[in-house]
Amino acid sequence: MTSIVESGYEFWNPIIWLIALAVLSVIIYFFRKRGEAKYKKGEDQAQIFLCGEEVPSAEKRQVRGGNAYWGFFETLKEYYDGIVRLHTGVVNDYVVWFVAVTAISAIILLIAELVG
Amino acid sequence: MATLIEHSSILIIAVPLLIAFLTPLIGMASKKARNSVVVVGLAFVAFLVFALARDVILNGIHIYTLGATSPSLAIPEGTMVPVRIILEVDGVSVFMGIIVAIVSLVAVIYSLSAMKGETGQNRFYTLLLLMVAGTFGMVFTGDLFNLFVFLEITSISGAALIAFRTKFADSQEGGFKYIVVSAIASLMVLFAISLLYSQYNLLNIGALAAAMQYTMLDRIALVILIAAFAMKLGGVPMHMWISDTYSVAPVSITVLLITASQASMYALMRICFILYGVTLDLAVVGWIVIAIGILGMFIGVTMAVRQTDITRLIAYNCVCEAGFMLIGLGVGLAVLGDRTDLGTFGTTAINGAIFHMINHALFEGLLFLVAGAIFYRIGTRDLNQMGGLGHTMKFTAGFFLLGALASSGLPPFNGFASKILIYESVYQFNPILTIIGILVSIITLAVFVKAFFSAFTGALLPKYEDIKEVPKTMIAAMTIFAVIIIIFGLFPGLILDWIVRPATDALVDQASYINAIMGAIP
Repeated sequence: MTSIVESGYEFWNPIIWLIALAVLSVIIYFFRKRGEAKYKKGEDQAQIFLCGEEVPSAEKRQVRGGNAYWGFFETLKEYYDGIVRLHTGVVNDYVVWFVAVTAISAIILLIAELVG
Repeated sequence: MATLIEHSSILIIAVPLLIAFLTPLIGMASKKARNSVVVVGLAFVAFLVFALARDVILNGIHIYTLGATSPSLAIPEGTMVPVRIILEVDGVSVFMGIIVAIVSLVAVIYSLSAMKGETGQNRFYTLLLLMVAGTFGMVFTGDLFNLFVFLEITSISGAALIAFRTKFADSQEGGFKYIVVSAIASLMVLFAISLLYSQYNLLNIGALAAAMQYTMLDRIALVILIAAFAMKLGGVPMHMWISDTYSVAPVSITVLLITASQASMYALMRICFILYGVTLDLAVVGWIVIAIGILGMFIGVTMAVRQTDITRLIAYNCVCEAGFMLIGLGVGLAVLGDRTDLGTFGTTAINGAIFHMINHALFEGLLFLVAGAIFYRIGTRDLNQMGGLGHTMKFTAGFFLLGALASSGLPPFNGFASKILIYESVYQFNPILTIIGILVSIITLAVFVKAFFSAFTGALLPKYEDIKEVPKTMIAAMTIFAVIIIIFGLFPGLILDWIVRPATDALVDQASYINAIMGAIP
């Protein structure tokens, strides 16, 4: 079978996965059809309700990319402060990193040679 | 046809090179003719690559010796070593060739509309074709000096293309950074080659591999080569140029830059697995590669999630995905000398890494083309300025979703197939690596949820009400990537059998690579 990938542990077959997904979709659709059908498109029912307040314009109510995952960044603030500081954007620093990696790799190989 | 296949390896490099220099002349007469010649030329090259791939997979390594009475005559009579320029194309080379062929053809189709309003298009296509020729040369060459030459061709043309849109200051800065980083990497590669040449009087990879003593000078050369190619492929902590250059180049060039970075990864593989092979301190070098991979995955994804520039976000994701490949290759390298471990999980790890290379080129390529389509229409890359674009750019939104899901490694897409091979094989080497990999994939999904949500969902912003879908050629280019992603996702076993396993088999079979050259001693 050309779809099967064997990893040595187990196998992955996307066709079986798709069949399972299709069966699941049918079940979900079945339950969805049994729900209330009172929704009417284009009426007040479909409008945004904000506790009676005026709904802001599309531009003002859009959650911007920069606001996403605020809690994640606050939790990892120290990590991000450090990691962003390393990304200086200065090409000289990029070369320093290259020299550092070369030196560290050389030292590791040298130690391995001496130990081995 | 047999003659065409016999000369195909050199034609694959020569045809783009020839068209590169013809392009300005044809372009002066007719832009349409120029565009047609470039597209047809690269389509012909793609045909040659697939024909060569079939030949290599069925008949073994393809040798092409320039200047010899017969292309397969690697070693001239009266000498014991190869002295001419030789192209040695094995399973890994054709695998890389397939990536370059697909991506370059898609990049040109996309450029037809995306670059329409730009000045200097004759020079653009000339540089693009030079870059394609350089990348093909890097993956087909059989000797180290020509690897350096083709690396230089790719780097110089790449830098010029990054800085091509001179109206943007950040493009010029990106081009400058790329040429500085590339020049240093290339010079260090040349220095390492000179160290090897000074000892062995050889430049041919197969001949050098046969003669390799793994002296102290060889170790120094190895360290320099690993560091130089790791910088060129965007290995952490030498990855910072990636976001500065990928984000500012025209996106059709960014997708070619991905293949150029992958050609550097190929060079790293060729050096570790074939040039040095089992003479290496395999566990140590394997763990160095794994360490660069882990750092790449973690720092790449955590930097991606905080970006608000869509192209920088995808660029950092490229750093992350390169980490996955390095982990697979590092594990394969670490167990290269142990036939049991190599058979149990080592080859699967390499299969996963190699399969992920082509998948990476496809889904990151698609994501960059989508980012380019957004920039083409609204003139910004800032996610904070976007919103509701899915209402008017439905195809583009769909393509982004497809690329994002594939990149995040969600089933049933191609990214999942390659990542599961890496996860399960690497788990047998060290379970912590797999845990990190799964965690990174989850954060990758969060990265693209943020990008998709910011750009395509929500109410359509009034300033974008008149925005239309991008031109048909741009849609066509994205469709090619999307269709291949779906095919690779649904039939991963087919792709593994056809092109991935032959590449892995070639990579772990140093003897065959050497014998293809040295076995020809008269």
